[in-house]
Parts: sequence; structure tokens; C-alpha cells
Amino acid sequence: MLLSTIALYFYVKQLMQQEVEEELFSTQARIEKILHLNGLPYSLPPVVEIVPVQQLGKEILKDTIIYDPSQDEMEEFRELSSFKDINGKNYKITVRNLIVESEDILIAIILSYVLIILSVFLIQFYFNRAKNVRLWTPFFLNLEAMKRFSLSSDVPIPLVESEILEFSDLNKEITTLTNKVRADYQNLKQFTEDVSHELQTPLAIIQAKIENIINGDNLNELQFGHLTSIQKDIQRLTQMNKRLTLLTKIENRQFVKVETINVSELIQETIQNFHEISNTEIRFSQKNEIIVNMDAYLAQVLCNNLISNAIKYSPQEGRIEVSASEKSLSVSNEGIKALEHPERLYSRFYRESEAVKSTGLGLAIVKRICDFYLFEIHYSFQSSKHIFTVKFI
Amino acid sequence: MKILIAEDEIDLQQSIATYLEKDGNVCEVVSDYNDAAYKVDLYDYDLILLDVNLATGSGLDVLKKLKKEKKEAGVIIISANNSLDDKLDGLDLGADDYITKPFHLAELNSRIKAVLRRGKYGGDDTITFNEIKVDTKSRSAYIDGKVMSLTRKEYDLLVFFMTNQGRVLSKEIIAEHLWGDNSDLADNFDFIYVHVNNLRKKLTGEGAKYIKTAYGSGYKFIAD
Repeated sequence: MLLSTIALYFYVKQLMQQEVEEELFSTQARIEKILHLNGLPYSLPPVVEIVPVQQLGKEILKDTIIYDPSQDEMEEFRELSSFKDINGKNYKITVRNLIVESEDILIAIILSYVLIILSVFLIQFYFNRAKNVRLWTPFFLNLEAMKRFSLSSDVPIPLVESEILEFSDLNKEITTLTNKVRADYQNLKQFTEDVSHELQTPLAIIQAKIENIINGDNLNELQFGHLTSIQKDIQRLTQMNKRLTLLTKIENRQFVKVETINVSELIQETIQNFHEISNTEIRFSQKNEIIVNMDAYLAQVLCNNLISNAIKYSPQEGRIEVSASEKSLSVSNEGIKALEHPERLYSRFYRESEAVKSTGLGLAIVKRICDFYLFEIHYSFQSSKHIFTVKFI
Repeated sequence: MKILIAEDEIDLQQSIATYLEKDGNVCEVVSDYNDAAYKVDLYDYDLILLDVNLATGSGLDVLKKLKKEKKEAGVIIISANNSLDDKLDGLDLGADDYITKPFHLAELNSRIKAVLRRGKYGGDDTITFNEIKVDTKSRSAYIDGKVMSLTRKEYDLLVFFMTNQGRVLSKEIIAEHLWGDNSDLADNFDFIYVHVNNLRKKLTGEGAKYIKTAYGSGYKFIAD
């Protein structure tokens, strides 16, 4: 637009200039003709001046400023002076033309042109913006809906209709996808519950049968040993199943109850309980009370698993230290060297040492609980101690 | 005691019946809701074991029926689900206890006896075995009238032994009873040995002889 305005300016200026010059030449030719026909030289300053001269000179075309009495100011003229030999006499014919007006016209043209461009531009701008808003609002609303969408939602994702074909198609696909995802999630939730039921019943049957055999006749010590060993294996399976189910339930966000829990008290209770199962010394020190809002059962599991883990990996005469300060709870047990794969610590079924018979799920559950409530959990090895710290919020 | 076992897994049903009958209980079995409802209507029981999942219906519906008809039986719900909500639902509906599969029969036995003791049908708060007397309400134990100072676990162990007289109790069964989910920690079961020994000491010469070793690593609480 800008370029065309500039071009137009120069073009129109050029045109006007040409027009003026043509007029000058035309007038001059007319005067020459009249003179030839024995007309009398006359003057009409400043527009026409005819002066007899001695010598002929070169034709001059130039701009000049002359006082114009009719306008009572200095005006710009275009001047054409030419020398002609007419009927044996030499004349200097000077013809002038006002170019002011043409400049004004020029400016007027440019101005209106610019104005038109500007208004068209503005109208287009607002028109486009309104159109864009109408076009894109559904899109951005739907984008928001997608961000807020939750797997566990009971209702399909709320999408706004759009006239644009592509957006409409997109909406359809998103709805299909999210519905499928929700259905899959519900299936998975149901699966979790079904698995628990399905696995535990056969285990219950086996366990009951073995117990009746133990209480039967004609059993010898060796057979008893085998049977009780099987009982231990069943216990392991049961434990694993319970923990896996818990893990999945936490992941599926099936624990939504929140209560105010005094973690300091809870951890002390837990330590008390463990004193009856294990000789390992557990020392507790408290700087502050830790109060957290979370599900009561998960809080218990958290404390239980942290201590249980510490005991499992603590050497015979080792000591476990538990401390509560600020919003952090840390549990440490003695160890020889740092864990080789600390990054795998919280993976399911990961056991640092095969010597310890554990499900490998205890810490995975602790981590999952922390992730769920956005608590932080750290592991570090300092002064021959493995230290696990949970930072509550 | 007359016990109704409502359990859809026939094997499990039979195992429970076998175990309980050894104590002289009379056991009847049903596998589905309709049979359970029928039997409950017709007869009176001292205790009813209800599996939540019965063929053709839910054990909880049988429970509701029982409460509506104001039957006096003690009820223990059996479930595969460890969910706390389910537990509370069951207890809210009026069940006396809730046990999750898999369980040890000795454990079930203990729970049944506890419910019967608490019961509104002439249950007694005390358990007696020759010189040993236990008052379950105050959680105190006496031998020859003299009070025994038992730790919590020792008390639990004594009651467990007494309610499962004549049964072979392996260390696994005892560990599960005393420490539930954390029984996997007592891996070498030294702790069981220690607790049993401590209990024997406290029972003095009189009572200690009832706790016999069975098959080398198990125990049996039995009079001579």
C-alpha cells in the first residue's frame, strides 16, 4: 500500500508536470503562430511576455517564483522561454503557468487515497478480528476443556460446536478418543477389584485345605515341614496380591478421603507395633509435630512400609533412627555402602539384595502415595546410613 | 454351636465345615443366595458365615434379611476384597466381624468364638481351660486364681491357643494372627519361639504343659 502511494504520488506529479509543460508549449506555439500572422506582440505578465531581442538563445524550461498580485503572494510558476525569429525579427517568448494548484490537487489526491487505504485497513482489521474471534473461540474453549479433562470423569468431554469443518472433525475425534479412554479406565478399575477377588479365592481354598491336612492324622514331621513351607508361600502370594492391588488403587485415584493425620503420633504407634516383631532398635526423635491431610489408611501404610523396609535391610545389630522435624519425616538404617541403583529404588518388584525376601513393593507403594499427594521423597547415603526422607506439604 | 456357612466355593465351604465340626459344631452349608435365604428363614443359627459374593446374590442381602427379621445369629462376613469401605459397609449393616480371604481356619475359629462370646445369646465373657481363666472383657488372665501379667501379644497368643484347643498351629498361622500384614518380617520366626516361651514361663508349671510342640516346629494347646 505504502509503495503504491509513493508511486502514485510521483506518477501523478509527473503527469501534472507533463500537462503543465504541454500547455506551456501549446500556448507558446499559439503565440508564435499569431506573431507570424502579423499579430502584435503583447504582454500579460506574468503569464505571457513577448520581448524583442537582439540575439536568439537557447530554449529554457524552468521553475520560478513570481509575485502574483491577484493572489497577493509569491507564487510558483513553470516558465518556458524560447527565442523565435518571426518575420525577420527576434523575439523572446516567455510563457508561465501556475503550478500551485496542481500541487494542491496532488496533495488532495494523495490524502484522500491515504485516507481510503487507512479506513479500509481499519475496517478490515476489526472485521477480521471479529471473524477470528468467532472462528477460534470454540477452538480455545475446547483446548481448555481438554486440559481440564480427567480420566475418571463420569461425563463425556464438553466440546463447543464449530462451523468450521476441520474443527468439527477434530471435535468428533477428541470425543471418540476421550470416551474410549474413559471406558478403558472404568474397565481397569473394575479389573483391579475383580483381580483381587479372583486371586484370593483360590489362595483361600489352598490355605484351608492345607490347614485341614495339618490337623489330620498320619502326618510326619517332614510332611509337616513341607506343608508349613507352603503356608509361607501362600502368605507371600497373598501379601504380593494385596500390595499390587493397593498400588493400582492408588494409581487409579481410588483413595479420595482426606483426614487430618498426626504423622508424628502415627509413626510412634508404628514403631511400637514393630517392637513386638523385631529386636532391631528403633529410636525416635521429634522436633515438630507433623500434621498432614491425607487418607488415614494410606498414612498408616506409608509409615508401616518405611519402617518395615528399614528393618528388613538393617543389619543384625543395627539401629534405626526415625526423626520428625519441620514437615519432614526421615527413617534411616545402617548400611555398608550406598545403593547401587538408587534410581530403581521405587520400581515395582525391585530388590536391592536378593537375600532379603520382600515383595519389592513396599517402597513402590510409598513412592506412589507421595506422588499422589505431591510429597517429596529423597534417598541419600551418609555416614554409613541409608536415609529416606519424606517431605510432606 | 449351630453354624451356617454360606460360601459359593464348594472346596472352601467343605474345608471350613470340616475344621469347625472337629470342635463338635453342627455345620450346614449353602452356595447361593436363594438357599441361604431359605435356610435362614426356616432355622435358627448361633452363627452365620456369609461370603459377600454368593451365586445369584450378595451375602449382604442375606444380612439385611437377617436384620429385618430380627434374627439373633452372630454374623461374620467373608470377602475377597480388602477395601476399608466394604468393611465399614458390612459392619454398618450389622455384621459382627469381617474377615478377608485368604484366612487361616484357626483365625476364623478365633473370630467365631469371639463373636459368640460377645453375643446376645448367652455368650460368656470368660474362657476357661482347667486352671486357666481369661476375662476377655478386661483382657486379664489368671492361673489358679492368680493374675498373670501378660504383654499384649502374650495375651493374644494365650486366647488364640485356648480357642483353638487341640488344633495344630504352625508358626505361620500364629505369626499371621499376631502380626497380620507384617508377619513377613518375622521371617525366621524366632519371635514366635520367644513369645511362646515367655508365655510358658508365665503360665508356670501348671499351665505350661498345655502348650505342646507339634511336629517339631508347630504347637498344640491340649490337655494331656
